[in-house]
Amino acid sequence: MTKFYHDDPAWADIEPIPQDDTGHPLVAIAYTAEYSEAMGYLRAVMARNEHSERVLALTEHVIGINPAHYTVWLYRARTLEHLSIPPSDELRWLNPIALSHLKNYQIWNHRQAIVDRRDSCEGEADFIAQMLDQDAKNYHVWSYRQWMVERFGLWRDVGEVAFAEEMIGRDVRNNSAWNHRFFVLFGGRKKGQAGEGEEEGKEEEEKEKEKELVQREIEYAKQAIRQAPQSQSAWDYLRAVLRHAHLPISTIAGFANEYNDVSPPRSLHALEAQLEIYAEQNKVDEARSTLEALAEFDPVRKPYWTYRQKELVVA
Amino acid sequence: MAAAPEVGTILHFPRHVKYWRRNLKTHLPTYYTENDTNRMMLAFFTLSAEEILGDLDAALSPEERQGYIDWIYHCQLPEGGFRSSPATDLGTARDDKNAVWDPPELSGTFGALLSLAILGDDLQRVKRKGILRWLSAMQRPDGSFGQILEDYGRPPEGGYDPRFCYMAAGIRWILRSNVEGPVEGVPDIDVDKLVQCIRERETYNGGIAAAPFREAHAGYTSCAISALSLVDRLPLQSSQPPDTRLRGLTKPHLTLRWLVSRQTLTLDNDDAIDTHGEEASLSATYCSGSPPSDSAIPELPWVGINGRCCKIADTCYSYYVCTSLHILGHLDLVNAKPIRRWLLDRTQHLVLGGFGKTPGDYPDILHAYLGLFTLALFGEPGLRPVWAPLSISQRVKEHIESLPWRKQVASYA
Repeated sequence: MTKFYHDDPAWADIEPIPQDDTGHPLVAIAYTAEYSEAMGYLRAVMARNEHSERVLALTEHVIGINPAHYTVWLYRARTLEHLSIPPSDELRWLNPIALSHLKNYQIWNHRQAIVDRRDSCEGEADFIAQMLDQDAKNYHVWSYRQWMVERFGLWRDVGEVAFAEEMIGRDVRNNSAWNHRFFVLFGGRKKGQAGEGEEEGKEEEEKEKEKELVQREIEYAKQAIRQAPQSQSAWDYLRAVLRHAHLPISTIAGFANEYNDVSPPRSLHALEAQLEIYAEQNKVDEARSTLEALAEFDPVRKPYWTYRQKELVVA
Repeated sequence: MAAAPEVGTILHFPRHVKYWRRNLKTHLPTYYTENDTNRMMLAFFTLSAEEILGDLDAALSPEERQGYIDWIYHCQLPEGGFRSSPATDLGTARDDKNAVWDPPELSGTFGALLSLAILGDDLQRVKRKGILRWLSAMQRPDGSFGQILEDYGRPPEGGYDPRFCYMAAGIRWILRSNVEGPVEGVPDIDVDKLVQCIRERETYNGGIAAAPFREAHAGYTSCAISALSLVDRLPLQSSQPPDTRLRGLTKPHLTLRWLVSRQTLTLDNDDAIDTHGEEASLSATYCSGSPPSDSAIPELPWVGINGRCCKIADTCYSYYVCTSLHILGHLDLVNAKPIRRWLLDRTQHLVLGGFGKTPGDYPDILHAYLGLFTLALFGEPGLRPVWAPLSISQRVKEHIESLPWRKQVASYA
């Protein structure tokens, strides 16, 4: 619904500030009359530092047309503080806006500030799930979820792992979900932090638990690869877990070979893993013939495999 | 698989010129309103495209050129730095109390400096010291940069991702070359912290993310690599003497592998369905189930580039991935010809000029510019040579370096 201010008595006291775009403006935009006018009133209330209910409505109007406007969000946030609007009210307002502007970054920045102020992530997981139903790999939404994990200490939280699992179950090639899994399981602790100040026995116990976790994740990734041998996400995850646990890539030699015993191989990523195993074991001749096979069966990355062959000779 | 016809695979030069002149000289359509507060970057893309096409001098009268320069300077704020658009200009009502709503903005400042340089301005009217002081204040303790500063004393507003590191590094390069430490009494940004910030965003598969442990993304990867290049902190080549400075890309081999793995045969949503979303590095010959009968595999017709693992190709990522590889000295690791054919046959708009995001899309300024720049990186005939770290022409880079005040600053190194 179009909204104007010049004929609204509630705004009669405001003299709008028109946009100064005189001379030779670059990339001027064919604004609608509605947007031009709303922006004129926005500049005028900003100039007065007015923080009122009608200002909230005006920011809503401008955000609806141009959600990437960087100061209007800040102005709204300060107005909310000024009017002591409860964060939950603001979230209720924000939900439909986020759903209709999936790719907008400012909305998530704003949401983060509001939820931070509320000091509770109640209901957020449900809202995120609703967003991901529309766009399962949305970068902003996953980033926001990870911020939530960090802010509210949800590391290795059963719900977070289950959530990643559910999303991977829906689409084994959802790299965002794989990344989330890695993040909640292995991203939470910085080096040297684990076991700090704990008794020795407990430290051992921790190590044992960590080993079990690594084993479980290796099996989990293998299971996914069995469903989709060409899924780069699952292979990347598998190799990241090995690297994280300081395990050699030859740990998965037998598994990789399951896909490489035919020609053409059933998975280029398995063939690549095979290459890294040979490289790790300094088996130059085997590595070279694997690179030749990769150059043949993976023409998309042929220049890269050719380069690796040259590197092999140099090494 | 049939080889793509080479006939017709051409850059439709006059149509691109027409597309960019229209962006320059007429009002942009109403749907650009959601980019209203991003106008300085749109201006930069438009001017830079005209520059790379070699059409800028023909397109502008001396009066227009001066008019555009004056318009950009009109967006400069008294304290230094540029607003991104006249949309936030409070005019004569602006004072100390309300200036917070009309602040200098990072992409506005970055785009304004580059646009002025493209127009041949000497940047003498730029409040250099003000910008550099503001830039330092915009850097957070973790090394990242904000987008705007509400006031000195409050933390900067905006994201924590490498886009802002890139623009900050770019502004610093333009205004003070890569001289480290104070210059003319103005402190430097903390370059070590900037490098540290990027290192923390490297992911388990070699790409770079918006924040630590987020998903690897080609846009952030490109911003990070360009930023490291602009502050001269990329890994040393074996031919360079070692030094003790902190450098970025802790696992450069993994990063290279991640970058080349962005090449994909999944060019649109139909492809994604045809192959059951199967990861597209799978060769086409392999997809069809018929292994090649001999070693002479036909050349791939089209190769697209995606921005994240298991996503479809998108024109803008051709730029992000190829500039990254170019800066790392490895543009030869991707399939130049099939990538070129993908851009020209599939995402170039044959009627309007420019490039769209995916096949069949209308062109938009961002994708049209980035697609054109990728072709220039590969040395497309008729386009001017380009300089990847700031995505400008080589000529504009040399113009910036030739400015007397900048030569003076650079001599402090």
